[in-house]
Amino acid sequence: MNPITMNKYKLIIMTDDKQVVLERILQVTRYRGFLINGMTAQVNTGNNIATIELLVSSDRPISLLIDQINKLVDIKSVAVDNSSSQRCSA
Amino acid sequence: MNDSKPLTGGGLLFKILEQHGVEHIFGYPGGAIMPIYDALVDSNVQHFLCRHEQGASFSAVGYARASGKVGVCMATSGPGATNLITGLADALADSIPVVAITGQVPTAAMGSDAFQETDIFGLSLACTKHSFQVTDIADLEKVLHKAFAIALEGRQGPVLVDIPKDIQIAAVEQTFTKVASLKNKVKLPLADITKALDLLTHAKKPILYVGGGVGMANAIDEVRSFAETTGLPSVSTLKGLGALNPDDENYLGMLGMHGTKVANLAVHDCDLLIAVGARFDDRVTGKLDQFAPDAKVIHFDIDTAEINKRRIADAPILGDLKENLPLLTMSLDIQDWQTQVRQMKENCAWRYDHPGERIFAPAVLKEVSDLMPENTCVTTDVGQHQMWAAQHMNFDDPSNFLTSGSMGTMGFGLPAAIGAQISRPHDTVIVVSGDGSIMMNVQELATIKRYQIPVKIILIDNAKLGMVRQWQDLFFDGRLSETDLSDNPDFVMLATSFDIKAKQITQKSEVTAAIKEMLDHDGAYLLQVKIDAKDNVWPLVPPNSANNEMMESA
Ligand SMILES: Cc1ncc(C[n+]2csc(CCOP(=O)(O)OP(=O)(O)O)c2C)c(N)n1
Repeated sequence: MNPITMNKYKLIIMTDDKQVVLERILQVTRYRGFLINGMTAQVNTGNNIATIELLVSSDRPISLLIDQINKLVDIKSVAVDNSSSQRCSA
Repeated sequence: MNDSKPLTGGGLLFKILEQHGVEHIFGYPGGAIMPIYDALVDSNVQHFLCRHEQGASFSAVGYARASGKVGVCMATSGPGATNLITGLADALADSIPVVAITGQVPTAAMGSDAFQETDIFGLSLACTKHSFQVTDIADLEKVLHKAFAIALEGRQGPVLVDIPKDIQIAAVEQTFTKVASLKNKVKLPLADITKALDLLTHAKKPILYVGGGVGMANAIDEVRSFAETTGLPSVSTLKGLGALNPDDENYLGMLGMHGTKVANLAVHDCDLLIAVGARFDDRVTGKLDQFAPDAKVIHFDIDTAEINKRRIADAPILGDLKENLPLLTMSLDIQDWQTQVRQMKENCAWRYDHPGERIFAPAVLKEVSDLMPENTCVTTDVGQHQMWAAQHMNFDDPSNFLTSGSMGTMGFGLPAAIGAQISRPHDTVIVVSGDGSIMMNVQELATIKRYQIPVKIILIDNAKLGMVRQWQDLFFDGRLSETDLSDNPDFVMLATSFDIKAKQITQKSEVTAAIKEMLDHDGAYLLQVKIDAKDNVWPLVPPNSANNEMMESA
């Protein structure tokens, strides 16, 4: 990966709070060529939905990762938070 | 089910397998799965004891691919579970619906490095479509139903269910009568075909590029009627073979690294590529930025993640091929292009006039293909023999050609053939293997012996790891490294010791009679075909080259 062309993104992932869902997301993110720069995760115990914010960077288009995370069985939605996604300045 | 015993987790497993129409499973017992094997005794499901769990997982894959049903395999914890992994990874890579059941140490012992404990749930993340670990007996039924639903839904794939021993023994309090159904979560938009229609009607040199998705979607009729009505020149991937009618005059054969010259040249030259259930794999495209460099792309697929993954689609059409292909089925005005392509096809037809008395493997496989009964299922291992089978045999359905496409796993052929034969007892099943690959799951000859499985094994024997040897000769200055197998066992004697009839041939003059003898034999048969160690697979697109830069000889 080239840090100069690397883009940073914040993904907001809503998921059923199921076994290993976090591990799955991290595995897919690494395998598809994205670095993880930060993460927060919270579960709403009322509806058992977890919200995960994932800061990632890569020179690959973010749509590749979104499509792959979306395929995971327990995921409800994946969106990029545009307000905090940016291209690294050199 | 024996009614005098209360229902346990193990018993529930077989009840649910039966609800899903599972008649045959492949497996191997051990400590942490003993309660399930105990429940097996009372069930109607027929279990085939393989001689290695990898064999069980490949037999499940072969079963699924030959029959269109879910293949089921099971293994004990620890080494049993890890031995399943190669088969599961293969199933994931080729999108094959398999459900794997593993025994696990009791929940109380989990995480304590117990005897034969391995984190198969963790290991499964990268080699299954989804996986479950059941830690509460109340969840078992729903999980098992879900496992089948996920294996079959959308883009198919393997699902693993890890069941700790205490859950297998636990009493089932309550069962549900309704089979849980699963809704496809990723809502696919209604296909927007406007752009595609525009591209299709304006293309001068369009090509239809068909992949394994067509067979998986059961859309053979739709793709054939699309090909026929449009008159599109067409090419197939390795896993797509059988989807298109091999006798269609516009069909150009397989494309890619060992594809036909005409397929690669036509694709290189085209101005529109209509990809159907295909994913622009690197073995297909060669150097990606020079693949069909002048073409726009219409991409039909069920998996959103395949669109724009390796090649930008000008017109993506997401969803079920069965529904979407008819939307573009229309006649086209492309006579000039058809004529040009057909001319090229004539000029580069295969030749079988090979000099000398030594056996020429492509000619053998061509002859087997001509002589084998209708609806024969062929499986292969991996290497030169696999590519020769793909090039020189004809298949009328993808479920009649089972080969490890994406993973290229040696050891696939024999157990996959066992699974295929069990799912289709009345069809002929042939394995095309190599002298390297056959040894990777050779223990399954014992499975053939035990269950009297009448598969026919054609062993293309060059006493080498031929495909690797070919690359060493061509791309590593002929420095042969660890590819010699001249000290292989006596394969005829080996087969005979498993009650499998066997014969070796070395001369061209023996070929026809030997093929006929093999096909006429009632039981299992191994035909060892000795070929020259120096024979290569041609044509070949060298690594990192464009597909029009094929080599046709050394
Ligand atoms: C499990 C596995 N290990 C290694 C390879 C790499 N590999 C690809 S082809 C090949 C040689 C296969 O030899 P053989 O089965 O004799 O077939 P041939 O090429 O001679 O026809 C090897 C080692 C592989 N595909 N799969």
